Amino acid sequence: MLNARGIGRRFPGVMALDGVDLDVRAGEVLGIVGENGAGKSTLMKVLAGVEQPDDGELIVDGLHVSLTSTADAHRLGIVLIHQELALADTLTIAESIFLGRETTRFGFTQARDEHRAARRWLELVGLDVKPTRRIDSLTLAQRQLVEIARALSTEARVLIMDEPTACLSPTESSRLFDVVRSLRAAGVAVVLISHRLGEVEALADRVVVLRDGRRVGELVGEDVRAAQMVPLMVGRDLAAHATDHERALGPALLNVRSVTQDDLASETSMTIRAGEIVALSGLVGSGRTELLETLFGLRARSAGTVHVGDRAVRSGSPRAAIAAGMAFVSEDRKATGLLLEETLTTNIGLARLALRREGDGLLAAGIFPSRPNERALAHASIGELAIRPTDASRTTATLSGGNQQKVVLARWLAIGPRVLLLDEPTRGVDVGAKAEIYALLRQLARDGLAILFASSDLEEVLALADRVLVMHDGALRGELPVDEASEESILQYATGQTPT
Amino acid sequence: MPTRSVLAILLCFVAFASSACTRHEASDTPTYAFVSNGIDPYWVIAQAGVEKAGRDLGVDVVVHMPASGINDQKRILEDLLTRQVAGIAVSPIDPANQVEQLDDIAARIPLLTTDSDARESQRLCFVGVDNYVAGRMAGELVREALPDGGAIAVFVGRLEQDNAARRRAGLIDELLGREPDPTRHDPADATLEGNGFRIVGTLTDQFDMAKAKANVEDMISRHPDLDGAVGLFAYNAPMILEAVRQAGRIGDIAIVGFDERDETLAGVSDGSIHGTVVQNPFMYGYRSIELLHQIDSGDRSGIPADGFERIPARAIRKAEVDAFWAEKKELLGT
Amino acid sequence: MKNVLGVIGLLVVVCLLTALASEHFMTGRNIENLMRRTALFGLLGLGAAFVIVTGGIDLSIGSIVCLVGCLTPYLVVECGWAPGLTVAFVLGVAALLGVVHGLLITRLRLQPFLVTLCGLLIYRGIARGITGDQSQGFRSGFSDLRFWGNGRLEVGVFDFAVPAPAVVLAVVAILAAIALSHTVFGRYLRAIGRNEQAARYAGIATDRCVVAAYTVCALLAGLGGLLFVFDVGSAQPADFGNVYELYAIAAAVLGGCSLRGGEVSVLGVVVGAAVMQVLRNAITLVPWIPDAIEYAVIGGVILAGVAIDEVVKRAVAQRRLRNSV
Repeated sequence: MLNARGIGRRFPGVMALDGVDLDVRAGEVLGIVGENGAGKSTLMKVLAGVEQPDDGELIVDGLHVSLTSTADAHRLGIVLIHQELALADTLTIAESIFLGRETTRFGFTQARDEHRAARRWLELVGLDVKPTRRIDSLTLAQRQLVEIARALSTEARVLIMDEPTACLSPTESSRLFDVVRSLRAAGVAVVLISHRLGEVEALADRVVVLRDGRRVGELVGEDVRAAQMVPLMVGRDLAAHATDHERALGPALLNVRSVTQDDLASETSMTIRAGEIVALSGLVGSGRTELLETLFGLRARSAGTVHVGDRAVRSGSPRAAIAAGMAFVSEDRKATGLLLEETLTTNIGLARLALRREGDGLLAAGIFPSRPNERALAHASIGELAIRPTDASRTTATLSGGNQQKVVLARWLAIGPRVLLLDEPTRGVDVGAKAEIYALLRQLARDGLAILFASSDLEEVLALADRVLVMHDGALRGELPVDEASEESILQYATGQTPT
Repeated sequence: MPTRSVLAILLCFVAFASSACTRHEASDTPTYAFVSNGIDPYWVIAQAGVEKAGRDLGVDVVVHMPASGINDQKRILEDLLTRQVAGIAVSPIDPANQVEQLDDIAARIPLLTTDSDARESQRLCFVGVDNYVAGRMAGELVREALPDGGAIAVFVGRLEQDNAARRRAGLIDELLGREPDPTRHDPADATLEGNGFRIVGTLTDQFDMAKAKANVEDMISRHPDLDGAVGLFAYNAPMILEAVRQAGRIGDIAIVGFDERDETLAGVSDGSIHGTVVQNPFMYGYRSIELLHQIDSGDRSGIPADGFERIPARAIRKAEVDAFWAEKKELLGT
Repeated sequence: MKNVLGVIGLLVVVCLLTALASEHFMTGRNIENLMRRTALFGLLGLGAAFVIVTGGIDLSIGSIVCLVGCLTPYLVVECGWAPGLTVAFVLGVAALLGVVHGLLITRLRLQPFLVTLCGLLIYRGIARGITGDQSQGFRSGFSDLRFWGNGRLEVGVFDFAVPAPAVVLAVVAILAAIALSHTVFGRYLRAIGRNEQAARYAGIATDRCVVAAYTVCALLAGLGGLLFVFDVGSAQPADFGNVYELYAIAAAVLGGCSLRGGEVSVLGVVVGAAVMQVLRNAITLVPWIPDAIEYAVIGGVILAGVAIDEVVKRAVAQRRLRNSV
């Protein structure tokens, strides 16, 4: 029902899409996979009318169309659900669903009619909340479902979902998949973009693989397997998931004793040794981010102590945590990580520059930043972490998600940390970069860092961690050595059931 | 392509500007400037006088009204010097502190002050009303309206201006029957009594219309026994009228104003305002240009010996208002 | 630099047109007047730039100009304070107000717009209260002190002399340029403007930087107020410095500062301030522009200039894109 022929799209200095063909069929889930920068998002934007192709044509129901806006696409029943959810926080669910298509009488919005209609759509996506609730009172997963309800309410025939599970917990994801399957059964065409190849494997009837803006392969039926996709995506074989737990553990580096904080349910204690990688698992909302932020001083703790080695870390001060040798890669690169409009050099040097107050003079002579040293640091980091493109004077926003994440990592490695905290370290990162980040973390652990990372991705947890801490309802509920951990055992703790 | 359109726009500008420039600057007639102390309908009447004089005498005139206070007035005067106008008449905003600049101007070209004087400066003369006399005139109007005396509130824009201070002194001296002293300064919030009259206070509004009205409302609330309200600046009487009308006290509170706002004249006409003391801004403008041109032509005989070219004020009551209004409309050409 | 080209172009065009329309524009005395006015407004614009680069706003600039402008002659003339002490005192008061703004914004998490809007009301009220609404002036005295506002440094050519405030502005502008572009502090301010959370997560003492930015802004507003009253000789509490915050913000934005924060150009701010002063000058000098439409002319020319700049920038970007692939 929707066909794209020879789609091309140019950006300054790069061909984002180069002659891509794509057929979307009713009642089918089509997976689109590829590394970040492969052109997936651009292709979706072209299909949804957000961007206009420089070459090629779109055919809907056999007719040539030109989509100059999302409104055009909506009229034809094509709806894109963005990777970054595009809902206004302060509206209610019903208002969000009907935004731009308000039911009005004499110019006044008809809240009651909208609520009734909204309830029907919410039921369809299996979301059991009142349509009068405000968006900002919902979890990310619920917002995702609201977006889908909104798309369905426009009588969408083609639903394009960009990384729908990026911030969902396993249970939430599986509910979303049920919704997708029922849509497929109802004859809707679903286009699914995801980095989680397992999901694609489970859901998609057909997969198209993109690399460097080109279509490099299509897998159908039985062939829809992660193992088949990966080589096509990266163009080489990857030992991405090779695990390595053979590391010598050193002395305890991170000592957390009886820490309490307003958003945490109970006292938290833990010890992480040099060379150890510990995963913090749990459902979304279980308090992982809150715990990490408390350790890093972004939230003031109400009691308890945190030590890095012998050094006590003052409460409520990220600067004190950094001075003690702690680094924190936050969950949301865009909101709390990068200065997107600034250069790589500025971004990489930022934390090290702030260490100036601790008497570190590498990047600053007195009150003046030392530009040559900043550039040298940036070049070294870019080489070390294989950040691409390698031009340090580029604006960070122009990099792919994986490379942006490497820039954040480079910033923190530049301070020479002893304890590395990471929140969702590979969120929105493509497979290639993911493997590189895993390898890097393992190397850092071998070099004697203590690493604590939070992740919703159980595959990631099991691949990377030596030990798994599981949170539920704001408290640590379980601890599993990795050889005893499995998806089932972690989930039991994460859902509050005590395993037998 | 946009570069080309920008160029085209630019060329149009240049062509327009240069044609306009040849048209104006080529003439040899002198230009005289008239600078007010702010923007007000009062000054529009003066402007009519200035322009009438320009036509009568065959000279070029410009009128400038500073929009934002003393910095603006200073800037305008500087720019007029740069433009090499042949003479300036100005109503200084803060005479005591503008002496330096006024002297600087007076050293180069003929300078008059109008409406408000700067005595310490080297200006050739002051064209205006004797504000103390005008104040006494307002006092007489109040006495007519309230033969038995009463509580009076006074409203004015700014007291630091010489004209305001003198009008107030004249008004109070007349009401209380004190010795005439044009330079007397009573504190604004003092209650003054004598001769059956009680001045309950003088409120300033700094030319803020909303404040001017609020001042009246507040005084009516604070002094329920208020018998009269006097507005010393042109806009004060209309604001008093509004407030008194809203309080339902028309006829109960006698209003006396200054100047000839349409609202004021309408109030006089229907009896809600007892009377108003009008200056003659038209003549300020006309006479200023006339004097400047005379002086510029080498004839200094028109400068009065005491440096005060008096343009008399008039009291307008109900009986005089229709004739006066007709006269004003004719002057403005409306 | 490329952000500044547009506003420099606008200044050149406006100057050119005014020079064509009035033979008096290019006289030594007029250039001197323009330099002095640009210097005074430029100081306010630079102060605003420090706050705008962090993504904040300061609406109290005009009222601080008023407070300092009224307090200075009041203290020197009415209270008989020593001039040096008075200058130090009023600048100290201005800086302190900035610290208070900064603390309210960072500690209590109040919105900058609200905090400084209240400042706008409060400081003018205080100025009027202290002076009893009376005009405050130097009464033709204190010419040594007033030199920094109205002084002229003769250069012996034509009728021209360098106005003293221009020297002050030059010094302040150089310091500001160094601070914003070449120091760690400036880097932090830009980082905060780009993404305050990210800056905080990276270990930057963001609160301290924001307080410093508001302090610099208020201090420069105070310095501006001082030089304004030195120049004019007196200040009326009711309207002295009225809406100057808008001139300051306009100069900063015209000069390439983004109200979203993170971008700043000292040269641009000074040129932006100059554009507005030349426009006002043109309105008085050119006989056929009526005084009454002053604001319309200023607003219209700035809007046209910014729009043309944007169109040209896009055209250039388009062409670059076409040539690159």
